[in-house]
Amino acid sequence: MTDSCSSVSKLLEKYFDREVTDRERLFVEGHLQGCPACRDALTSMEGLRTLIKAPVEEATQQEDFPWVWQKIEREIRLQEKGSWWQSLRSWMDLSPLFKKKVWIPAVATVIVLLFISTQVILKKIPSYSDTSVVEYIESKTHNIMVYESEKAKMTMIWLFDEEDQELSRS
Amino acid sequence: MKRIFPVLLFILTLSLLSPSLSYGQVQVRLRVFEASNVGTGIDSSLRDMRDQFKPLVDFSSYRLLKEETPTLYLNQPVSSPAHPGRNIELTLIRQHKNVAEVRVKIKREQMDILNTQVRLSPGRTVSIGGPKHGEGVIIITLSAQF
Repeated sequence: MTDSCSSVSKLLEKYFDREVTDRERLFVEGHLQGCPACRDALTSMEGLRTLIKAPVEEATQQEDFPWVWQKIEREIRLQEKGSWWQSLRSWMDLSPLFKKKVWIPAVATVIVLLFISTQVILKKIPSYSDTSVVEYIESKTHNIMVYESEKAKMTMIWLFDEEDQELSRS
Repeated sequence: MKRIFPVLLFILTLSLLSPSLSYGQVQVRLRVFEASNVGTGIDSSLRDMRDQFKPLVDFSSYRLLKEETPTLYLNQPVSSPAHPGRNIELTLIRQHKNVAEVRVKIKREQMDILNTQVRLSPGRTVSIGGPKHGEGVIIITLSAQF
């Protein structure tokens, strides 16, 4: 082991953990090329890490973390559960949508839109004036003529007397 | 928040319902007149009628026999003598905004000689004519006053 070995050994652990600067890394890598002792030291560090890493990974794979987290969440919810109104209010307090500056104009806009859309829908429904004025008509004694004039806004129902009918027949 | 919600809900409901509110009563103008080709006298209140009738039936004389403005209430028949031996019965069936649906029955000795249902809207006149009267014919006009 040389003098440089002692200075590299101080850096070797940092180098192994990739915590060295670029300058230190170049220095260590240059030294490792020509120093089998330091290379062995680095190899033994890697071996030690593998030795520790394998059982830890095995243990974490066996543990069901999502299930544990669900249990924790459920417990939190059970403890925090109030009335629906309280939960709604807390949600509204938290949500930026329900700040007064936001919801008052939003509700006003919705009301205005609903009012306008209602008027539009109602206008689209065929109005009575678009259809016939006479809904039904019957007479057991007379013949009837119905004349409707949209221009004059006039509807005429004409009853033909029996004499008229006889005259028209002859 | 608690107080504002019901008020907003009320305003919203009212705005949605207001166009379809029904009122259930309407005043109608009922005119009974004799139209004939004897003479040229036209009662001043019937000049508008002559202009309306001209394209269809052109009489030279219009004489007002009767004018009434009864108020019709929903499903309550109003009867009025319209012609010797005949009665006119008006019943408000439905009212929606500026349209009144009115059933009109003309009866002679308790027999319906005419049974019809008409829609009266602003400016619209419904006329029923034909029955003989004197030298001319009887014409009944109906219009609603909103």
